[in-house]
Amino acid sequence: MLADVGIILRAQGLTKRFGALTAVDGLDLEVREGEVFGFLGPNGAGKTTTLRLLCALIAPTAGTADVAGARLGRDDARIRATVGILTEQPGLYERQSASENLRFFAALYGLPRRAAQEQTDRYLRLMGLWDRRDEAVATFSRGMKQKVAIARAALHEPRIVFLDEPTTGLDPDAAKTVREFIGQIRSEGRTVFLCTHNLDEADRLCDRIAFFRRKVLRLDTPASLRSELYGQATEFRLVPRPREEDLVRVRAIDGVRSAVAEDGAIVVSSDDPLRTNPRVIRALVEGGADLAYVTERRVPLEDVYLRIVEGVQ
Amino acid sequence: MIAALRPDRTTIIRTICAREWREAAGNRLLVAMTLLPPVVILLAGIGAVGAAAIYPPSERDVQALYAASPAMRGLDPTEAVQGIIATYFLILFMLIPTVVPLTVAIYSVIGEKSARTLEPLLATPAGVGELLFAKSLASTVPAVLVTWIAYVVYLVSVRAVGSQSAVNAVTAPRWILAIIVLVPLLTLLSVNLGIFISTRVNDVRVAQQIGGLVVVPVVGLGIAQVTGRVVLDDSAFVQTALFLIVLDVVVFYLARLAFQRENILVRWR
Repeated sequence: MLADVGIILRAQGLTKRFGALTAVDGLDLEVREGEVFGFLGPNGAGKTTTLRLLCALIAPTAGTADVAGARLGRDDARIRATVGILTEQPGLYERQSASENLRFFAALYGLPRRAAQEQTDRYLRLMGLWDRRDEAVATFSRGMKQKVAIARAALHEPRIVFLDEPTTGLDPDAAKTVREFIGQIRSEGRTVFLCTHNLDEADRLCDRIAFFRRKVLRLDTPASLRSELYGQATEFRLVPRPREEDLVRVRAIDGVRSAVAEDGAIVVSSDDPLRTNPRVIRALVEGGADLAYVTERRVPLEDVYLRIVEGVQ
Repeated sequence: MIAALRPDRTTIIRTICAREWREAAGNRLLVAMTLLPPVVILLAGIGAVGAAAIYPPSERDVQALYAASPAMRGLDPTEAVQGIIATYFLILFMLIPTVVPLTVAIYSVIGEKSARTLEPLLATPAGVGELLFAKSLASTVPAVLVTWIAYVVYLVSVRAVGSQSAVNAVTAPRWILAIIVLVPLLTLLSVNLGIFISTRVNDVRVAQQIGGLVVVPVVGLGIAQVTGRVVLDDSAFVQTALFLIVLDVVVFYLARLAFQRENILVRWR
């Protein structure tokens, strides 16, 4: 059982080897109840294997995990009943309707007939598929199939939902529906474990992010990861353009980590912008610079990813 | 909040069977491929009995027949020939439970493999043993029912176009034993062999070609019986039934070994 209140998933030394290949190498991880947890890594990093391990689909070579109060290897059927998973492929029965697909899985998750029907109807409405509920899935677009598959992962109201690349290949409208759905799951206090290559999506949705390559390389909130690696950057746009003396003046300010001129602006990096930025503004104005506007500059999560996972500086 | 539970075994098996049957019924090609062999075999059997009535045997054939089956002596030659045909047709009839379930069993695994539906299925609380059993049952039950219906149709047809000796042959203990005991055993053998083969290949046609070999022992037995090399008396049928039980257990065990959650997810392609 989990000792810490608020931790819904804890992996300890979780390892999976396939012959000579180590796919997951001593994974230690804690996921909090109610958070959207991003799991990011390159292709072949072992993300899908980790998902399969945590959903009790395959057995670990070493280590263990507690998932929603059940111990991996001992309560596997209970884990599978308590979690929901969206696999890489939608994997739907194409000759059958969306409604039939969902009712079938609801029954396998142990929902009584009436609850299965109610949940099926609820999720078909949530996913915007109500009008096409009785049509064969074979006639659906990729995005619609993905929505059915996501509904399937959530319809038994699992405490933790594992989503493997949920918006890959979807058009913007379908991707938006999926993101809204993830938000809804979180608002219900349920946990989402999100594997994705879409860094922008991870940045928008995830409370915390783990960068992973066979093991967790770094884990924190997106803001903390940015701040740790790059500080927090602010853009001070000057007209007509920054002068050398403006840069010298800004660099001399206590708390400024770096200041560089870029496209008519000075980009200032600091650890505490709330304290540093007013000083920068004051110094620039007192130095005679014409300050047009000040904006926060967010380092793309892609830069953070590349630096941590690929070692790009 | 809905509380998901591990459903009981009966619910899992019933749910999977119902889905398999719905899927199979919606696939016209599969239904046609499944029903064609029994129709052909049945027509051949009825036609042979009917033809014997239209084309009486020659005196030479009748003497050979009486020599081979002394019990037929004293019967009208046509009746005797019909009785012999009905008796020998039993082996050909046993092709129905070997051929009918093979396509459905193969499709039920390869279909899921190609549609990538196995992983979501394995992610549910259902156990792999339950899944395998349900798939096996879903292919076995219709095949046994089709064979039993074919038997009833054959019996009614023989009664209509054949003689009393033909009817007696089809209702003899050997036939009844074969229909009640051998048919389910042969069906299970064919189904589990089909499932086992399907775990190893990805193409339905290749699986069918390999699985088709299951008819070889049945055909071989038929040829041996017709040429007089084997006499299939009641004792031989009991021995065959016992042998099939052992074979069924072995093949189910092999299918169970191949049908492991991790194998399916990691090694099956």
